Amino acid sequence: MGETLTDEEKATIARRFIAHAPPGEFNEVFNDVRTLLNDDALVRRSVSKAFAEYNRDQYIPTKVQGVEEECLITDANDLSDSRFYDPRTRQSFKFDHLRREASEYQPHTSDEQSEPWRSTFEKELTEYIKERYTYGACTVIGGSDADTITLAAFIESHKFEPKNFWNGRWRSKWSLAFTKGQTECELTGLIKAQVHYFEDGNVQLVSSKDITETIQLQDETTTAKEIIRIIRQSEDSYQQAVNENYQVMSDSTFKALRRQLPITKAKIDWTKITAYKIGSELKNA
Amino acid sequence: MTSQITTTLNVSSESQLDCALDLMRRLPPQQVEKNLSDLIDLVPDLTEELLAAVDQPLKVVRDRTAGKDYLLCDYNRDGDSYRSPWTNTYTPAFDGTLPSDRLRQLEIDANQAFEQYREMYFEGGVSSVYFWDLENGFAGVILIKKVGDGSKNIKGCWDSIHVVEVQEKQNGRAAHYKLTSTVMLWLQTHKTMSGMMNLGGSLTRQFETDHQITDFSQHIINIGRMIEDMENKIRQTLNSIYFGKTKDILNSLRNSENFQGRIRLQQANFTGELQSALNRTRPVE
Repeated sequence: MGETLTDEEKATIARRFIAHAPPGEFNEVFNDVRTLLNDDALVRRSVSKAFAEYNRDQYIPTKVQGVEEECLITDANDLSDSRFYDPRTRQSFKFDHLRREASEYQPHTSDEQSEPWRSTFEKELTEYIKERYTYGACTVIGGSDADTITLAAFIESHKFEPKNFWNGRWRSKWSLAFTKGQTECELTGLIKAQVHYFEDGNVQLVSSKDITETIQLQDETTTAKEIIRIIRQSEDSYQQAVNENYQVMSDSTFKALRRQLPITKAKIDWTKITAYKIGSELKNA
Repeated sequence: MTSQITTTLNVSSESQLDCALDLMRRLPPQQVEKNLSDLIDLVPDLTEELLAAVDQPLKVVRDRTAGKDYLLCDYNRDGDSYRSPWTNTYTPAFDGTLPSDRLRQLEIDANQAFEQYREMYFEGGVSSVYFWDLENGFAGVILIKKVGDGSKNIKGCWDSIHVVEVQEKQNGRAAHYKLTSTVMLWLQTHKTMSGMMNLGGSLTRQFETDHQITDFSQHIINIGRMIEDMENKIRQTLNSIYFGKTKDILNSLRNSENFQGRIRLQQANFTGELQSALNRTRPVE
């Protein structure tokens, strides 16, 4: 195993463990890591940055004041210094990455140039979420740079049942960028799904898919509806393909690894098996 | 942000081991080797305990003298060398622990019996049995590894690790058997429609029983029957957890029109929701 690690090397390992905490189990993983490191000063100095990274990576949903709809914590709405903004409610807030709570609200105006596109996209996306995600939330971020408008939509859906020894989360991110006058542009998607089952074991599904489609650009509303149509189709198709894989894995791959019973359709006769000696054993004394 | 972390915990090495094992139950099993190696780097004092307690996918090695493969685990390791069940010698050459003569003969017979078992259930693969002496009996590990052929574009692998402890009683006329079995199942695929999909991990079960013994070689019959029954049960559980439960959880995260998994989980929650709805419609007193 080699020499003892430096503090910074240990902190790197600790941060990697935290980054891989399954959905809904950040607290447990953090407590384990904290006990193993046994050095809270090091945790404060070099590990705590992993908390924010984890929340942004998981698109953690947070309740914000004034509305039912949750706001997702992502790279795109990060104002730095642990402040994030919710374009839907036009406010920014301080986010406690350990408690996962919002506070210190302030008004916040989104980028003006992209706002008509962003708010229409958000309206259509929110309807889509109600239709396809019982436990889902979404946030749409808009930005602009000279004539280029960028839109990034985040979808998050999770179900935590630790008492039944399982947790799961779905994440999708859909983004596009275009300049005024363009008639079509690329829509990029990234879907991630993770399921953890841990009764007397540790079983995980980890799955992801990259998607690229082309969309026609028209007015804000027509474009938004078109984007949603493609998102729905792509996500349906991915989910169906994963389910088909499950079928093949179960019907073919798993069966080919180990039979339910020997070809004789009966369990083994161990008395017979131990009486029969293979010839080659005679030379292995 | 980290205001809650103000004191360093005073941790015992027992609680560190508990945390390490808890971490291994939560981190994605797809990286079990790296996770274990990182854990050992983090708490080198727990190296031996971790190597003994954490199951890893089995490695296959060729015994050039015997012309056969055998499997590596912590139980046939001494220092940095591993003992072959065919030649009963260590590679790299090492004067390591060997089973007593009587136990070595049982080990030879057990390896042959389990080769036949493996052939009848797995139709391929590699198996190895290692025994070691205890004060009032002996212990052993029965290992099986089967790698799928990769057909239908899906990679699959099965690892069995059965650890049995045999306590001899009544001067060898009876014995108490304690079996701890772990089966690891790994499935992965990379396809256009479903992207990257990795379903993997392990389940562990235990079982204890007693038997009358008239001959030392009978242990193989008793151990064989226990393992066969245990593996058949675990195979069934793997089937329902991997291809039933994790799939249902995934389908509860998003409602693609065609899938029933969401319905099943909703039905399980239905009673609770009905009760809440009834409570809400009761007139306020």
